Amino acid sequence: MGSDNQKISERMRADWDRRVSHDYRFWMSDGYEDDHSMWASGARDYAIACSGIADTKHKTYLEVGCGVGRLLRSASKDYEKVYGIDISQEALKHAERFLASEKNVELLAGDGLSLKPLEDGSIDVVLSFAALTSTPVIVFAGYLREIHRVLASDGILRLQVYTGTEQKVSAEDTLHLRCYTEENLSKAFELCGFELQWNRELVLPFEVSSKEFNIEARMISLRKVSDAISASTKEIADTLIPGGEGETTIDVSGCELEYWMALQYAQELAERGDTSRARETLEYALTHHKSTTIDVRDVMDRIIDTIERKEQEGGSTAAPSAPTRRGELFERNLRALSDTFPEVAAQVSRTEPQSVEVKESEEGVVLFAEGQCLDHPTKPLSAARRWAKSALIKDDVERVCVYGLAGGYHIEALFELTSTPISVIEPRQDVFEKALWCCDLTAILPRLQGLTIGNFKRDEVGAGSELLLRPQTVTLSPELAQEVKSVYYGAKGISSLHPSITVLGPISGGTLPITGYTARSLTDLQQRVRAIDMSPFAGGYNALEGYVADEMRQNFMRGKLTEALSDLVLEMANDKPMDILICMAQAPITIETLTELRKRGVITVLWFVEDYLRFHTWKYMAPYYDFIFTIQKTDCINAIKSAGCSEVHYLPTACDPGIHLPMELSEEEKQRWGSPLSFVGAGYHNRQQTFASLSDLPFKIWGTEWPECKPFDRMVQEKGRRLAPEEYVKIFNATDVNINLHSSTERDGVDPYGDFLNPRTFELASCGAFQLVDERTYLPDVFEAGKELVTFNSRNDLVEKAMYYLEHPLERETIARAGRERALRDHTYTKRMEEMLSVIYSSKYEHIKRRQDQSPWKKMLKRAEPHAELLERCEIAFKRGEEPKLDPLVSDIVSGEGKLSETEQKLLFLYHIRKQMIRMRHEESGK
Amino acid sequence: MKKRHPHKQNVLLVNITRLGDMLQATPTIAGMKMENPDCKITVLVEKQFEAVCHTIPNIDDVVAIDLGMTVRSLAREQEGVIDAYEYITEFVEDLRSRNFDYVLNMSSSAYTALLLNLLGIPNKGGWSSDDEGYRMIESEWAQLFATSVFHQNRQYNSLNLVDVFRCSADVDLHPQQLLINVTPDNTEYVEKMLQAAPFTNDGPLVVVQAGASQAKRQWAPINFIRFIKLLVEESNCRVVLSGTKKELQIIEPIVAGVNSPNVFVAAGQTNIPQLAALLKMSELLVTGDTGPMHMSVAVGTPVVSMFLASAFGFETGPYSEGNIVLQPVIGCGPCNPNKACFRPDCHTHISPEMLAELTIRRLQGDFTSLPEGYADPGRVIIYRTFFDENGFYDLMPLNTEYDSSYMKYREAYRMLWLDELGGFKQEKKKSAESRPTSKLQVIQETHSGFQGIEQVESVADEAHAAVSELQELIKDVSAPATRLGEMSNKLGELDRQIEEIGFHYPHLGPLTRMFVFAKENISGSDAYELASQMSSIYSTLKTRCEKLQRYYS
Repeated sequence: MGSDNQKISERMRADWDRRVSHDYRFWMSDGYEDDHSMWASGARDYAIACSGIADTKHKTYLEVGCGVGRLLRSASKDYEKVYGIDISQEALKHAERFLASEKNVELLAGDGLSLKPLEDGSIDVVLSFAALTSTPVIVFAGYLREIHRVLASDGILRLQVYTGTEQKVSAEDTLHLRCYTEENLSKAFELCGFELQWNRELVLPFEVSSKEFNIEARMISLRKVSDAISASTKEIADTLIPGGEGETTIDVSGCELEYWMALQYAQELAERGDTSRARETLEYALTHHKSTTIDVRDVMDRIIDTIERKEQEGGSTAAPSAPTRRGELFERNLRALSDTFPEVAAQVSRTEPQSVEVKESEEGVVLFAEGQCLDHPTKPLSAARRWAKSALIKDDVERVCVYGLAGGYHIEALFELTSTPISVIEPRQDVFEKALWCCDLTAILPRLQGLTIGNFKRDEVGAGSELLLRPQTVTLSPELAQEVKSVYYGAKGISSLHPSITVLGPISGGTLPITGYTARSLTDLQQRVRAIDMSPFAGGYNALEGYVADEMRQNFMRGKLTEALSDLVLEMANDKPMDILICMAQAPITIETLTELRKRGVITVLWFVEDYLRFHTWKYMAPYYDFIFTIQKTDCINAIKSAGCSEVHYLPTACDPGIHLPMELSEEEKQRWGSPLSFVGAGYHNRQQTFASLSDLPFKIWGTEWPECKPFDRMVQEKGRRLAPEEYVKIFNATDVNINLHSSTERDGVDPYGDFLNPRTFELASCGAFQLVDERTYLPDVFEAGKELVTFNSRNDLVEKAMYYLEHPLERETIARAGRERALRDHTYTKRMEEMLSVIYSSKYEHIKRRQDQSPWKKMLKRAEPHAELLERCEIAFKRGEEPKLDPLVSDIVSGEGKLSETEQKLLFLYHIRKQMIRMRHEESGK
Repeated sequence: MKKRHPHKQNVLLVNITRLGDMLQATPTIAGMKMENPDCKITVLVEKQFEAVCHTIPNIDDVVAIDLGMTVRSLAREQEGVIDAYEYITEFVEDLRSRNFDYVLNMSSSAYTALLLNLLGIPNKGGWSSDDEGYRMIESEWAQLFATSVFHQNRQYNSLNLVDVFRCSADVDLHPQQLLINVTPDNTEYVEKMLQAAPFTNDGPLVVVQAGASQAKRQWAPINFIRFIKLLVEESNCRVVLSGTKKELQIIEPIVAGVNSPNVFVAAGQTNIPQLAALLKMSELLVTGDTGPMHMSVAVGTPVVSMFLASAFGFETGPYSEGNIVLQPVIGCGPCNPNKACFRPDCHTHISPEMLAELTIRRLQGDFTSLPEGYADPGRVIIYRTFFDENGFYDLMPLNTEYDSSYMKYREAYRMLWLDELGGFKQEKKKSAESRPTSKLQVIQETHSGFQGIEQVESVADEAHAAVSELQELIKDVSAPATRLGEMSNKLGELDRQIEEIGFHYPHLGPLTRMFVFAKENISGSDAYELASQMSSIYSTLKTRCEKLQRYYS
């Protein structure tokens, strides 16, 4: 075994030294036109591979298979210490030259089997990108063990792999890509002591996945969770490919692929006019691969013809268009633009942008921005036509929206294939303007249905649209791409996907009612929803202190109870389908349950409607959620991302117009619930400090945790009991000026740095109640102070404004009405859930769709199609989130509620047959 | 006899799940043919009984429903549910295409009731459902069936369900036994089978059906061992143990315990027609209340039968004359068929010795009396089966004249239903047969009487008057709607009172239950017509109260 591995190692070194000597850019990078392109591609790949890893300044980084250091340069900017290891001596020679100025980079010559001389636990982050993908499985397995060894506890491994149909590749092949099944990979990672953090499709500006061969490029993030690995390298390899890799039958396995790639490259170089390198590459192909079985004589002839032709032409690259011609082109394009999209034309500058570069190709000019080539570098039109064919425009699509215009080649190609209306979103003004200067868009612009630059219209990507994302543009402008995807997949997902969504509430606390609002809003959006109400367990949970005096023991027992409730969630997942689990903050769920659910493909979501600085559960729970939504922005989002969740998004709380509404109250109710001034909420420190001085005002306080002493004894109502939402809505309605002071456990009054908004802000507005709220950073984003509500910044400001508005009821009414209109328009839970689902669907659309397509309901619904009423019943049961069986189809048939249809009678007939047979079996067995 | 649908041309008989039920329907089937010779009779049975139906006389066609497959399809869930749905759709279409003019369903199961409504056959008997899914029991005889099997009422019924079933289908003429054909090839098969038996005795051939359908009705193997030993060792009998393969686990220990060449195991070697042939060849069957018991009387072989646990001889006893029925006397028996029993004390009320003695006695010939003090009637009543003057099955106690405090009620109800539902004139018998035999019984009878019946009568009177008032209000277009509502509520309350009296006085249970069923069957949309139906029901109740008191006294 040892000598076998040694042979493999020697072969890897020999093969890669040979390739690097020939052309390091071609064999090790996709940006192989020049070194500049190579570094740009390295920066791009590094950004994708290492996204979300924060606080790297004092960390150590290792890249396994660093090649010539394409990604190391970017890493050296982020990390304190950077190691690169590679088996190819030739590659390392280049890397030393390239990275000589990067003092924190250390290059190591690898033996192809281990990570010697690195010490155990010495590395914080390991990356392997486009390297272990071509190694034999036994080498890959060995490296997984080694990476585990050198990683520190909780260290992160980012790994690029290919998943899909397992490839039969010879063990001695050092070039072919290895493709593993997701299941085998997961098992291998587990054996190696890693825990999966996320697994995403790798999207690059060119095709890296192949639907035809069922190969998908993936980026995987893993975390080291155990210190020891019991599995041997062989066991790990057997787990990755249970049948083992095949024995080689030829002298140099993989040579045919290498030969073929070299020929293709030679052809490309020849066509580009780089005839000398084309000849070198042709020679490389011929010298090194005599044993191939492919008959490529025709190809060879064509390459030689091209080389000779180009040499006769002088071999020079076509010169860029003359500036005068560009000016004419710009004018023609601008006229066409003004005719069709005058508002876009009005925004166009008449100065040619310099931030975008242009290169000529034989099929037209190609644009480059930030080193990123925005069309195919040599054959933009041919590549665009291939892309258009594979873009698969469906027949029932009303319109196509393309993200990215660049040189417009792909739009031209789409128009050749379809008459479906096309609109375009180009995120970059400079790219668009450069295209106007350099590319002939006069044939495209008049045919476009829509064109937006730097932004987009929601209806362009709404229902009925097909969104086509140009990978090059996504890479260049990922933020807008994310927004577009959210809107597109949100609309598409909400109308076409029907995942079973479970909303898990907390046992008690202020988040409890939000659970209900969330579930109801999802139902309003026609989603399949089940809310798990954990509040019935609150009694037992709270009673623990009556049994155990020691607080630590109490907490220990509460943890046990949480575990039991978490297991209950798992049982419920066994009972009924679960595709998405939305946990509200403080929901009783454990890491183990979340891990198990994720293994089953359930998307885990946390809506953390708490102050992240005060409640810290996210610190250890973050890696177990696919999505976390927070009520705080940048710092909070970054902190949670650093804790291990890559998808963290801002989503404030809201109102439920079905609960939080204006109401007519009787005199008795007004008497009980009303007051000139009221406050509803718990007695936090800053509230006590502030409100103690308002005891001379007609002020009622409602809520828990208030002191029983003076002056609160006369202000706090109904012994400070907990109120139901329906009750505090009455208070809001019966009060002239509702005070809303956000809680703080440290400040004495208004928190000067307070950012997020409590639910009360939205609920008061929705009730059409006048509120006086403390100033908050995020408030201007959601309400207009002075118009939709009124703010205060201190105790004195509060008193002054309260007195003023008590005396100006008409002003109060106008403001409250405007506040309600705004709340209903922008801040309902339904809106929030739309946003949440849009985010989830924008990255999980295919995952959910695949689950749905594979779900038993799919087949059942298909089979039910010939029976209209049965189909309708199936659809209703499906949307309710039920299992595909008989019981949900009959559960809502009620005798005596009108004539039963024939379908209902038949279903009841079946139901009672089953019941009778079960009864008879019980009778026979004497039960 | 009163009849609802005397003429029948194309009849569907729904009798799906039990062999015993099928056999118990044979007098009805035969009677229908006797009364309507040109009528075509189709039976609907579960697939496993399809073959057996071809051995039952007078059946023209058999439709089978595969319940096992349907339930398996449903258990597969997903597409299995659609498979089951499509199967049922096809099945219903097939039945509809046969254009039946009359259907009788004597199964109380909800699914057969739904099926009847789905089929839309114009004339119905037995359990059905209305368009809204409510249960309906067509015909008073079928309501009596439902009333009698209602557990709390069982002891007050002496009408065999075969007769009630028959009358539900308006069948008067009928053979006084169940029917099944025995074919020569099956006889030949059994003869060959028995030739292999190493019998050394040459006495009577007795079949023993040891297995029972329910665990609580299973007499202990040790009892069977003692019983069979007495037959083979002291009476020269040849014993054949019948049963299914599954029942071998009961039979094998018995065979091992008896350890005699005169015990032959036929269990697992015969299908149903072959078992019929075996029973026909034998001289007697000893059994519990089982399918083979019905089969035995159908081939004319007498039975000695133990009615243990929930089994009740009056209800489902062997339907032919001259059979012996043993009914343990115990406070909890006959028990609820749907409840398990973990200490079946009733089993000890029949001893192997007594059973053997009765078996030998019956082998010697039919008998109508037993020697004085033969068996303690406080532990077991030994009955002989017979038919009364109207052709209805009945049981005659042989070891006592007075079987229990229920006896008088049973007789009174029997007379009431034969009179009211059948139109058979009833003469009050001398009370000699109903003489109490113990002081306790005297006290019980004196104190119970027909207590509560006056209350029923009085409420019925009040309700009748209320309906009359309601009818007046309906006729009066100016009557306020609130008044109509009040009357309706009042009637609802009175109905509830009647039902509650029935719960309070168990002996009134059958009377009030019949009333409830009658109310459930009120149908139509015309208010006056509905009130008329109600009026008639209260009148009937009042009449029945009067008659019941008369027949009881």
